[in-house]
Amino acid sequence: MGSNDHKNLDNEDKQKIDQKTNKENQVLHTYDGIGELDHSLPAWWINGFYLNIIFALGYFFYYIMGDGPSLLKEYQKEKNEYEYAQALKKDSSKGASEEELRAFLKEPSRIQAGLQIFQTRCVVCHGAQGQGGIGPNLTDDYWIHGGKMTEILAVVVNGVPEKGMAPWGGILKLDEIYSVVTFIKSLRGTHPPNPKEPQGLLVKE
Amino acid sequence: MSLESSESSKDQPLKPQLENFSYDDAIVKKFLIMTLVWGAVALLVGVVIAVQLADWRFNFGLPWITFGRLRPLHTNAAIFAFAGNAIFAGIYYSTQRLLKTRMASDLLSQIHFWGWQAIIVAAALTLPLGYTVGKEYAELELPIKLAITVVWVVFAVNYFKTLLQRRERHIYVAIWFYIATIITVALLHVINSINLPVSFWKSYPVYAGVQDALVQWWYGHNAVAFFLTTPFLGLMYYFLPKAAGLPVYSYRLSIVHFWSLVFIYIWAGPHHLLYSTLPEWAQTLGMIFSVMLWAPSWGGMVNGLLTLRGAWHRVRTEPILKFFVAGLTFYGMATFEGPLLSVKSVSAIAHYTDWIIAHVHGGTLGWNGFLIFAMIYWLVPKLWKTELYSVKLAHVHFWTAFLGTLIYTVSMWTAGITQGLMWRAVDPSGHLVYPDFIETVIKIIPLYFLRAIGGFLYLGSFFLMLYNIVKTIAKAPKTKAPDVVSAYRLTPVALSNLSQLGDRPHRILEGLPAVFSVLTLIAVIVGTVIELIPVFLGNQHVAASSSLKPYTGLELHGRDIYVREGCYVCHSQMIRPILSETMRYGEYSREQESIYDHPFQWGSKRIGPDLARLGGKYPDLWHYRHMLDPREVTPGSLMPAYPWLYRDKTDFRAIPKKLKVMKSLGVPYTEMDLAQAEADALSHAKKIADRLISQGVPATVQNQEIIALIAYLQRLGEDFKKGLIQ
Ligand code: HEC
Ligand code: HEC
Repeated sequence: MGSNDHKNLDNEDKQKIDQKTNKENQVLHTYDGIGELDHSLPAWWINGFYLNIIFALGYFFYYIMGDGPSLLKEYQKEKNEYEYAQALKKDSSKGASEEELRAFLKEPSRIQAGLQIFQTRCVVCHGAQGQGGIGPNLTDDYWIHGGKMTEILAVVVNGVPEKGMAPWGGILKLDEIYSVVTFIKSLRGTHPPNPKEPQGLLVKE
Repeated sequence: MSLESSESSKDQPLKPQLENFSYDDAIVKKFLIMTLVWGAVALLVGVVIAVQLADWRFNFGLPWITFGRLRPLHTNAAIFAFAGNAIFAGIYYSTQRLLKTRMASDLLSQIHFWGWQAIIVAAALTLPLGYTVGKEYAELELPIKLAITVVWVVFAVNYFKTLLQRRERHIYVAIWFYIATIITVALLHVINSINLPVSFWKSYPVYAGVQDALVQWWYGHNAVAFFLTTPFLGLMYYFLPKAAGLPVYSYRLSIVHFWSLVFIYIWAGPHHLLYSTLPEWAQTLGMIFSVMLWAPSWGGMVNGLLTLRGAWHRVRTEPILKFFVAGLTFYGMATFEGPLLSVKSVSAIAHYTDWIIAHVHGGTLGWNGFLIFAMIYWLVPKLWKTELYSVKLAHVHFWTAFLGTLIYTVSMWTAGITQGLMWRAVDPSGHLVYPDFIETVIKIIPLYFLRAIGGFLYLGSFFLMLYNIVKTIAKAPKTKAPDVVSAYRLTPVALSNLSQLGDRPHRILEGLPAVFSVLTLIAVIVGTVIELIPVFLGNQHVAASSSLKPYTGLELHGRDIYVREGCYVCHSQMIRPILSETMRYGEYSREQESIYDHPFQWGSKRIGPDLARLGGKYPDLWHYRHMLDPREVTPGSLMPAYPWLYRDKTDFRAIPKKLKVMKSLGVPYTEMDLAQAEADALSHAKKIADRLISQGVPATVQNQEIIALIAYLQRLGEDFKKGLIQ
């Protein structure tokens, strides 16, 4: 508070203030030697309290009594916008064709990138060399969901959730998935040790 | 209603009569010494679990010291053993002096003391053994819960009898806070403890799902309010002016902040359940009452700090005042942060992260701890009639503890905000930037190390105090005779002449403790009734109206293992309607999904990922390997290994009784289900085991507990995925 105001006060006001501070500095009660003074509530404190109460009431009336959106409504809106944006993106980048995918097999850098992804995401279930484990062997000629690269692409994107194969479409970027699919295809006929028994149908190429 | 009996009894002489008596300080000493003992234990366990998060190997593969079982031990020991004994020491010391009377019954005081210590020992034995209800800060099993109720009633009876025998006409603000504590803790504890026993050490809460969650957090939040706040404010109002030798700043502020605090606090519980399936009006009440709580909380800090105005120069030289000032400042910080965290959009980032852990420890280490230290440094020389052994050491204690608290809170703030932001990060292509949860864990491990260092400093500083106090007591004179005090007996005041008690209404009330207590009770009941009752009446929240299939016997048994191992301290089961969260875990949780969950397992912290929709995400074999060695499937994981689940056998014979108790709680099991419970569980286990065995798992797996746990984990979220819930 401006202390220089104090100088400009006439005597009467000054007296009032002195009386007030005297009164506030008087011990009202004593308990076991502890005195209690009677200062008035700090203005910033009580006004802050009022402001919070006003905010609370306003919030309550807008969101609960009034037509403020509920959390679920807000979520639904956000989700719709997201899905719309994703749908737009999908259209402009249709999945690669079998030929385009096969062409990737000639790019060592892409196979290398696929290896990286495979090692961090897939080895837990498919084994370090793709020999299989929880998931099937990816080096043999037997495929549960088909051995074409577009078919492999589809499995990796959509997954087989009920069997424990995650839909990677929501986790990896499309380009990363192309790389890992290329890498898987490059494993064909590598015959790693301790292969898992064949699963699915024999696919001849 | 009759007024204070001592005042209305007829045989009292009308002239005031001077009486001699002495205070029971022996009981204060006992509580104080146990404060020191349990404080050391609670902090030590805290440091152990901090280290376990920094490096999983410190779980040592031993069931009874694994993180999930030790964390509840740490919280219970810190709150109920360390803070609890400190509160009792302070209350017994100050109440007798403020009321100018000895406690009404030494016997009841003794029962309170020994009963409380027995409860703590029982907790320290049963929690590591895995006997737990599975609700935070209310983990202790039914027999211990009952013992707590009895001991608390003993304390309350003793306390209110003492109030009636007082020789001081009016009750001081510290006593108001003690009264609020005693009444409300009783209410909270009883309502949150209504369980049905399955066996001596196993019981299920009568509430399920959203109702259980609401009751639990009404309890949990107000345990913070009425165990870690109101009693401490009471202690502050006594020990701070005593230590400073100065009068309390404002009586008016005391009145306004006491009543607003007590009335508003009780509503704030649902701020722990924002974005959950709790009806949104209740969430909103939790949020706005938390916002309104800021000023009432700060009222206590302001009154304390302004009491010290004019004594600031002494803060430099007197460690007791240092602890008070820092303690009140931490209190102010925590009670500003609390309302902030209760705002929905802030909660969206902070909830489930270490930010909350920072918040809690700012309060407990900074406020509760420092206040206790101030009180101990002041009390011990008084009680033992000597001087503190070393003031210098007390200063070192202060600065070490201060630094420890700072390192702790800052590291956890950073960890919390970092992880909270990583969970939400979505790149322009619409993918999560950190789809693997483990990436967000590995990122904050260095901060877990830092936090452990902070905790270690705090623990070390505590031992400095311990040494200081032991030395102080050792040099104390050995005189035994208690001081004799004298005070006038109160003369009765007639009901018709209440104005004799004072000129302001509140002053009159302070002369009527019974009326005061009833008003306090009403103040805390209003919020309780308005929030709890509608959620209890809502028919959609109850099992009877559901057509969903309940857990099978084996799944239920697996769920009990989940509770026993305290998986809920690291895993939530509540997916919030937030886009980045549903992208990670699947559609947001529905109320129906936890309708059979006695207790609910929504959790409050995601040290690991949410498990609400875990079922079917991985094959059984994945879980089999993961639980045996999480690092084998998720390199870098800090989750403990659970080798004993692969040794201990499932107790199939216990299953029918569990279903029976669940049925009596309203879970729709048929008579057939009950009759065939054991056989069904056995064949269910065999099915899972056969699948695993065909994948190369040893044939002994069938009777192992891991099978039951896998059965439960694979059930999580299945109803939703099958479209049984919309
Ligand atoms: C949690 C274990 C798990 C992980 C991790 C995993 N998979 Fe699989 N995967 C499986 C299972 C199980 C199957 C078999 C699905 C079935 O039976 O239909 C499978 C099947 C497949 C198939 C089809 C094989 C066939 O025979 O048709 C491909 C291709 C595949 N996964 C690729 C990947 C790639 C690429 C990754 C890493 C990005 C990956 N998987 C990660 C478990 C996993
Ligand atoms: C110390 C904290 C901690 C405890 C206690 C804990 N977990 Fe975990 N849990 C984690 C972390 C961190 C992860 C993520 C890394 C991983 O997959 O191991 C995790 C992952 C998991 C996962 C994989 C979830 C997914 O979607 O990938 C399951 C299942 C799981 N835990 C089950 C349990 C069970 C059951 C218990 C109790 C017996 C338990 N956890 C106890 C920390 C913990």
